[in-house]
Amino acid sequence: MPTYIDPIDHILAGNRTYQQHTTQCDPDAFTNLAQGQAPDILWIGCADSRIPETTVCHCKPGDIFVHRNIANTVHADDLNAASVVEYAVTHLKVKKVVVCGHTKCGGANAALGDADLGQTLNTWLHPVRELRRRHKIELDKLPSDDARSARVAELNVQQSIEVLKQHPAVKRAVSERRLTLHGLIYDIGAGQLKILDDSGSKKTTGLWSPN
Amino acid sequence: MTGKEEIKEVRKYLQQSHDRIFENNKKWAEEMRKKKPEFFTDLSAGQAPEYLWIGCSDSRIPAEAITGLEPGEMFIHRNIANLVNNIDLNVMSVVNYAVRHLKVKHIVVCGHYGCGGVKAAMTPKDMGLLNPWLRNIRDVYRLHQDELDAITEEEAKYDRLVELNVYEQCRNIIKTAAVQQCWAKNEFPVVHGWVFGFSDGLLKDLKFDHEGQLKEIQKIYNLTQEQDG
Repeated sequence: MPTYIDPIDHILAGNRTYQQHTTQCDPDAFTNLAQGQAPDILWIGCADSRIPETTVCHCKPGDIFVHRNIANTVHADDLNAASVVEYAVTHLKVKKVVVCGHTKCGGANAALGDADLGQTLNTWLHPVRELRRRHKIELDKLPSDDARSARVAELNVQQSIEVLKQHPAVKRAVSERRLTLHGLIYDIGAGQLKILDDSGSKKTTGLWSPN
Repeated sequence: MTGKEEIKEVRKYLQQSHDRIFENNKKWAEEMRKKKPEFFTDLSAGQAPEYLWIGCSDSRIPAEAITGLEPGEMFIHRNIANLVNNIDLNVMSVVNYAVRHLKVKHIVVCGHYGCGGVKAAMTPKDMGLLNPWLRNIRDVYRLHQDELDAITEEEAKYDRLVELNVYEQCRNIIKTAAVQQCWAKNEFPVVHGWVFGFSDGLLKDLKFDHEGQLKEIQKIYNLTQEQDG
């Protein structure tokens, strides 16, 4: 019988291993981190446990400033995300803002239907459900729910970017210091990031057009 | 360098820093597949994380990395200064989904010493768009003003405010209907308050007393009884 390990002891032990390992690789690692942060990237991603941004991008602590919520949705009237963007763009002066959606997204799946998820989640996912309605003809042609949910995830990334472009700090940084915005999709079944271009379709290289 | 060349250089730099992420991601996916060929197929079947983590957006605290967890194990919300505000639909959606749908067993609120958000909140200055968000931290100070005013050393005062902010956010999570109703049925989730320190890379457990606090909070904020209909 496997021995039961308390889940909290498990992650506290994980933290001690992380601390020892990091210090062994670089004795000054934590002293340097304590000096401050200067991340190049703001990552707006899904709360989904399967996409830890720093891990899937093979980055180090200090590289990516992070906001994660249900279905990586940016609402124009959401103060939470707007505050993260303001802090990252105006104060930390990140160079890139990334919105990352993903395949098999619970939020996108839920948005394919109109099941009652309770008032909070219904309201939060409302804009994603609206996207589904606006793109009904295109979505109906797709072969499966998986394909429809992947497409909704793409449209949602695109929509979040449109909202971000109207954020005053983003507008300023785009014109004053060439901040760029990027839409990504993470394929959970492959572990891979794909970039979306301006029209929301797949593209292998290239930057988001600054205007 | 002429202006045109300068722009070219900047563009080249931007493209490089952008490409770096994709190269790294490819490397990581290959390594994971080598270690465990079915890793990504398993992940695409769904998620069943035990933990919900509410942490700071700060780039230096990637939750899974500092706790040694793999993709699929921890549901994550990160915002400025790890705040849980009652009327914030964003964080409330996360708590709702994690508790009611994913049925997480533990909710961790993790703050960190040297938090820029906490520092900004205590700066006597108009922070524009950030004012309403940071107000929550000033409110934490006011709730604990006697204790904080008594600390004379500046850094010690901030450290304590970081800890007290975590306590208050833990309390805010307990005030939600989702947590109270799930607890009444299942005796989970349990709420924990931690602080991460850069000086040693370790997590400090603030020993938030979940059951004691729940009892205390329900004297006023009891939402255990479910909605009609």
